[in-house]
Amino acid sequence: MAISAAQKGIPDVRSDVAPPFADVVEIHKAMVFSIAWHFLRDRALSEELAQDVFLELHRHWAAMKSPEHIVFWLRKVTCNRCIDVVRRRKLRRETSLEESPEPAMLERVQDPLLSAYLQRMVASLPEKQRLLVVLRYQEGMEPEEIARMLNINSSTVKTQISRALELLRAKTAQRLKTQREAEA
Amino acid sequence: MTEFEQQLAQALERREPPAGFTSRVLAAASQQPTRSRWQAWRWAFVLRAAPVMAALLVVAGGALYQNYERIERGEAAKQQLLLAVKIAGAKLYDARQRVVSIGEIRGAGTEEEQ
Repeated sequence: MAISAAQKGIPDVRSDVAPPFADVVEIHKAMVFSIAWHFLRDRALSEELAQDVFLELHRHWAAMKSPEHIVFWLRKVTCNRCIDVVRRRKLRRETSLEESPEPAMLERVQDPLLSAYLQRMVASLPEKQRLLVVLRYQEGMEPEEIARMLNINSSTVKTQISRALELLRAKTAQRLKTQREAEA
Repeated sequence: MTEFEQQLAQALERREPPAGFTSRVLAAASQQPTRSRWQAWRWAFVLRAAPVMAALLVVAGGALYQNYERIERGEAAKQQLLLAVKIAGAKLYDARQRVVSIGEIRGAGTEEEQ
């Protein structure tokens, strides 16, 4: 997936002048909130986390070198905070994706519902895979970018994303099959 | 990108935070102190200098310890030398005493013969 810089909300990276803090919050609030939301699946907690991330950015504002640096910093800090929150509050679901129950069979497999289903399935992935999937498909980041940001090997990123996709695909296919059987 | 990945990307599209988010962040931000450029630079300097300082401390500590060990070895050698001198002095004294006593005995014998 190729999301352009403008779609990602990244101001012109050639600009050396950092935009005002209020503009940065306005531009990147959806990015920060969505990473937290897709990771935690808790609206209030995600909002709180996003606020904390921006407040930390405000404290470190003088150290920001460029708009691109700001985006990098925000993504990294948000990811770290998400992992911290999950570990601290034990929010991670105990059941793995394979063990998670199928949604009710009466649910229609229409696009909005499929999206909601996929979101739930992503939220049930293990922490690491969940984070990688969110960064890859929400933020449209390349595996190499993700690897650089999280200080891990890019082949690990690719493997983990591939495993997560396999699980999600299998689960969704199973669901569609069940749905068709119920309708027949 | 496969169709499934496109569906996934669509499912994970960004969403806006609740209304008033920006104003809440700005209000909270206005109440907290920011790090000045000087403070940020100072922190960066401290963080970068810390490993160098630690290495210097280790090197200096090593050098001091080596010096201490050298002095200790010197002191021990000095004590041994003093002991050796003392023993040698005592032996010399004994020998001298014997020589003197032998001389006195021989002197007394010669006088008696005369």
